[in-house]
Amino acid sequence: MKYSFFKGCFLSVRLPHLERVSVNVLGELGVELKETRGFSCCPEPVGFLSTDKLTGMAIAARNISLAEEEGLDILTLCNGCTYSLRHVNHALKADEEAREKVNEVLSETDHQFRGTVDVKHFASVLMNDVGLDRVARKIEKPLKGLTVAGHTGCHIVSPPEIMAFDDPFDPQVLDKMVNVLGSEPADFDLKTLCCGWTLTNYGDKDGADKLLGAKLESMHRAGSDCVSVICPQCFYQFDMGQLLASRRLGLDFSVPVLFYLQLLGLAMGYSLEDIGLKRHRTKSSGFEEKILEALG
Amino acid sequence: MVIRVNYDADDNLSVVEASEICLKCGVCCVVKEHSCHAQLDSQFSPKCTYVYDCLGMDLPSENPNIWLCVSCHKCEEMCPYEVSPIRFIESMKAKAFEDGLAHPVIFGEVANIVSTGFAFPLTVSSSRQRQQLGLEPLNESAAEDLMKIAEKTGLSGKIDKYRGEEL
Repeated sequence: MKYSFFKGCFLSVRLPHLERVSVNVLGELGVELKETRGFSCCPEPVGFLSTDKLTGMAIAARNISLAEEEGLDILTLCNGCTYSLRHVNHALKADEEAREKVNEVLSETDHQFRGTVDVKHFASVLMNDVGLDRVARKIEKPLKGLTVAGHTGCHIVSPPEIMAFDDPFDPQVLDKMVNVLGSEPADFDLKTLCCGWTLTNYGDKDGADKLLGAKLESMHRAGSDCVSVICPQCFYQFDMGQLLASRRLGLDFSVPVLFYLQLLGLAMGYSLEDIGLKRHRTKSSGFEEKILEALG
Repeated sequence: MVIRVNYDADDNLSVVEASEICLKCGVCCVVKEHSCHAQLDSQFSPKCTYVYDCLGMDLPSENPNIWLCVSCHKCEEMCPYEVSPIRFIESMKAKAFEDGLAHPVIFGEVANIVSTGFAFPLTVSSSRQRQQLGLEPLNESAAEDLMKIAEKTGLSGKIDKYRGEEL
């Protein structure tokens, strides 16, 4: 299984420790990641793709064309990158007129969109290409006794006819992935509510705090030891965002966050140092004790 | 009551016409878990929802609240009449951007992507962390192509005009 590795700019610039653990864990599962030269921002879906559509589509099409030139499907680590690239890939494959228009823009570069590859989020690769059976065979230290709140995020599920990942109203895939680790998925309400990252970014900190606070309280009530995410922006919001929102909201608990591939790494025998936990901002001594107990 | 939209303020008639099917049932905003996230902002209520606010303005592209939409598609999936508020809101965002009325963060982000290839500035700290972790250094090799693309589509001119600086 070889893919063109689209690491995305948020994760590679702000959260490189997640890139490190992702490359290590996916490699051990037989996923080969090719460093494709010349990728840019996907571009970011809310601020760029929805405001200057033609330029946004051309930038995404250029990224896809780089993978096409290598004959490889793209693997992403981010819900937002997956959203932008899948939307444009879908639109340009389906609409010849739009494809011609975008290729006319791309004629200024050495690239053309042909529509020959697919764009896959790493969670989709784990579910469909690697397979959860193979993932389960790699588990050396099941994370028993750990209750994990799965936050799937918005942009990986909607619209389902393009994203083809999970039910936007009742997401179950991440819970299945948590089960494989030997952990218990938390049963909490507000499961499909946004993390609030975009609201924070574009100026509505009050709304974002309310959103995040409501989600965290719901996770906490359900006995969650941690929250697991599959998107770096969601990660940042639950980590740094939680630290800041807790001060403003006066929360008296914390729900530490782990990128799913960090949890998988722990279950595969990685240490807390290997997964870069010391770089996280939201801490919980109870969580670390529980993890160390599970790791023996 | 049908939502009001001033046709003169919009150049995308089909999107606007679709928005006029809205019967203000509120489903897109008031079902807490499955509907619009922006509804949690304290200025909105079940009687004056986020979507009514976006669709009901005379000059919807000048409404700063359009920038609260996170493109999650929940409104579209919940709407029983296929109004697709997200299409309307994104159309208004595009018009606002065209007219130089976009949220300042958007112009900064767009300019950064076009001039460096990254939405977030490459910092000394991130370079150091990547080196410590044994990861390849990041570079701005895509920027040359992106600036050609932005020149061709006319985006460069808008950035110069609205940010007052060269890329």
